[in-house]
Amino acid sequence: MTGMLPPGFRIQRETNTEEFFINMGPQHPSTHGALRLALRMDGETIVELVPHFGYIHRGMEKQAESMSYLQYIALSDRQDYLTAIQNNLGVVIALEKGMNIGVPEKAEYIRVMLQELGRIASHLVFFACFGGDLGGQTCLLYGFKEREMIHDILEEVTGSRLTTNFFRPGGSRYDVPDTFIPRVKAFLDHMDGTMKDYERFLSKNIIVLERSKGIGILSKEDAIAYGCSGPVLRASGVNFDVRRANPYSIYDSFDFEVPVTYNGDCYDRYTVRIAEIHESMKILRQCIDRFPTEGPWRSKEKPVRLPVGRYYSEIETAKGLYATYVVAATTGEKPYRIHTRGPSFPHIAALNKMVQGHKISDLVTILATLDPVIPEIDR
Amino acid sequence: MGIINLAPKILDPIPGGKYVVNAIDYVVNWARANSIWPLTYGTSCCAIEMMSSSMARYDIARFGSEVFRSSPRQADLFILAGTITRRMAPAIQMLWEQIPGPKYAIAMGACTISGGPFIYDNYSVVRGAQNLIPVDVFVPGCPPRPEALFHGLLTLREKILKETCRNPWQVGEPKDVSTMDRYREAAKTWAALEEMKDEEMAEARAKFKEENPDYKSSFKPIRIKKEDFPEVERVPFKRMGLTQSDIYAKLKEKFPAVTVHTHSEDPVEDVVAAMPADRPLEVMVTPEDYLPMVEFIKDEACLKMDYLIDIVGIDYDDHFDVVSQFRSMEHGHKLFLCLQLKKDFSIPEEQRATALLAHAPSISHLYPAAEFKEREVYDMFGIDFVGHPDQRRIFLDDDFVGYPLRKDFTHPEMIRRPV
Repeated sequence: MTGMLPPGFRIQRETNTEEFFINMGPQHPSTHGALRLALRMDGETIVELVPHFGYIHRGMEKQAESMSYLQYIALSDRQDYLTAIQNNLGVVIALEKGMNIGVPEKAEYIRVMLQELGRIASHLVFFACFGGDLGGQTCLLYGFKEREMIHDILEEVTGSRLTTNFFRPGGSRYDVPDTFIPRVKAFLDHMDGTMKDYERFLSKNIIVLERSKGIGILSKEDAIAYGCSGPVLRASGVNFDVRRANPYSIYDSFDFEVPVTYNGDCYDRYTVRIAEIHESMKILRQCIDRFPTEGPWRSKEKPVRLPVGRYYSEIETAKGLYATYVVAATTGEKPYRIHTRGPSFPHIAALNKMVQGHKISDLVTILATLDPVIPEIDR
Repeated sequence: MGIINLAPKILDPIPGGKYVVNAIDYVVNWARANSIWPLTYGTSCCAIEMMSSSMARYDIARFGSEVFRSSPRQADLFILAGTITRRMAPAIQMLWEQIPGPKYAIAMGACTISGGPFIYDNYSVVRGAQNLIPVDVFVPGCPPRPEALFHGLLTLREKILKETCRNPWQVGEPKDVSTMDRYREAAKTWAALEEMKDEEMAEARAKFKEENPDYKSSFKPIRIKKEDFPEVERVPFKRMGLTQSDIYAKLKEKFPAVTVHTHSEDPVEDVVAAMPADRPLEVMVTPEDYLPMVEFIKDEACLKMDYLIDIVGIDYDDHFDVVSQFRSMEHGHKLFLCLQLKKDFSIPEEQRATALLAHAPSISHLYPAAEFKEREVYDMFGIDFVGHPDQRRIFLDDDFVGYPLRKDFTHPEMIRRPV
């Protein structure tokens, strides 16, 4: 039997029924990009799942070795493009640790506000795709509607809709325009009303409840053992958020809650993300109240040269723990090696655990609630 | 196609038949150009902009392309949204062949035009979609805005409207042109144009001076005042859990061989104590100590490193470093174990590029997360993890030659970044 199995599959139980294999991807609308899943099926039930990566492996880490540190910030945009602005901060914090420069207060507020806007934007895409994958095309239209408002703000501040490339060691590329705060305020006021609509769409929808409650359960122990992070980990009952566990920037000065649920199923992963949008809005409101209009928006500009050493930073993006590990073997402008730890990779590793015993249509639901971004896995 | 293309043959001999043929052309093109159904395909950033363009704000339905089809057999248009890698290339060619003609392709974004940001030092990206399939319209941008995609769509529409029964759509051939050659050619043409313009300008300037000898310019360049920014002291982020010294003392007690890599002359204890609060402790471990130490830090109640963040490989001249990064969910502290592996130089030099040069113990039985991470290190560095249940390449094809993240890695398709 072992000889008949394709690579990657392992015998887990003795079966008498005839099993067959299904290939899903790399071009499949619900794999969120170029992910290929090989499934071992028993009738309609999934026995085992083996993910195949590398369809969008772009060799970023090899390229980074011949790039300067600043150029790598632009590459980090293209890893998890839904949270590009957050990836920028992850890289920049590692560089700041190496250069040993601080950030003035106004720059910190700009950072936190853009972080939270990016988080809301990413969670809105989750909302859209989750609804869309369950068959509700309306959600797709609604999720992207509010996201465009965030993109307008990002475009005004950074000059780009998606690939922002905005933060720099010591602050950011530009100051924010005068219209930034009023626009964020207008967005939040609008969002308050829309969030009620959103929750009315899905949260109590009988189809969503039937298809997501008790589906794809990930236990607390498994979630930790597989290295899951972000909403996936918090839906399994682990209260871990880097903003609280190892606060970076000025996150320790804000009053917000880390939403945690305990069932670890698809519905919980959905509710955690919806609750997170509310918490992000709470942080944004506090930022607007305390935003310093005066003062420098960046520290003194210095050449980006890191002394010999290894520097590590971690931040909480919308998907989870995003860590950057920079190795500088010589003092200079180029890294010896940069490694990025994206949050989606462990989630797909834990997918096999979640889908066993479920149907293929449930796999689509589970994959949607993991909210993976494949280029960030493959890099 | 079939019958419509026969129309000229049948109708031309009949008096006035060519007007009917023109009418047929008009109707067919009207229908075809206003309902271009794209294929749901996207690999990276451009796919999100493609999705945005089909949503409420931009509304691709205005151009009759809102019906995104998941099956290539129902699509007319292949929007190549996102980078194409060598591993994905056969799938793209297969998708293209599955689309029934007349079919069109739009290359969206810099990656599909030329490789974009992934041109240099890259072993996995196909430099340009036109190497794989015939492309009708190129839409530049990284990623292009939805408006740019619409411009591409309208350009394609114009192209479709030019087709007639007498000059029907034909499947094109992929053009196997090296992007770098085209780039160099374009750069040469550009430089020649610039030179010509400079000469013309110089002539015009000389002529102007001759005609107006007394002319004096009143133009003063405006300089933007550079703002002065203060230097700000960095405040390390808050520490959680045990201090680095405490963790180090705990490890030293159990494993006396443990050290910390340092360039200073001071004793290691002082170096560890002087670390900033937000810097994780990184200790050097010998291969013999590695597995017992991982077991120790996982089970010891006061350390309890139950969460594996990542495993990172680093290649040096004579050794590999494998850095395993752990954190404690309960306490919040982190510990990095740097495992140093000497390269096996007993392997003949010509075989080294494709050989596994070092062996490390696998920790995937302790941390399930390590299974995929170790596969990544194996794929990129060629380090053998002894005891790994399923050691295969993860990102690259099984027949890929060499290990890309080694410093001496070479690939025939790789172009060095000009310094």
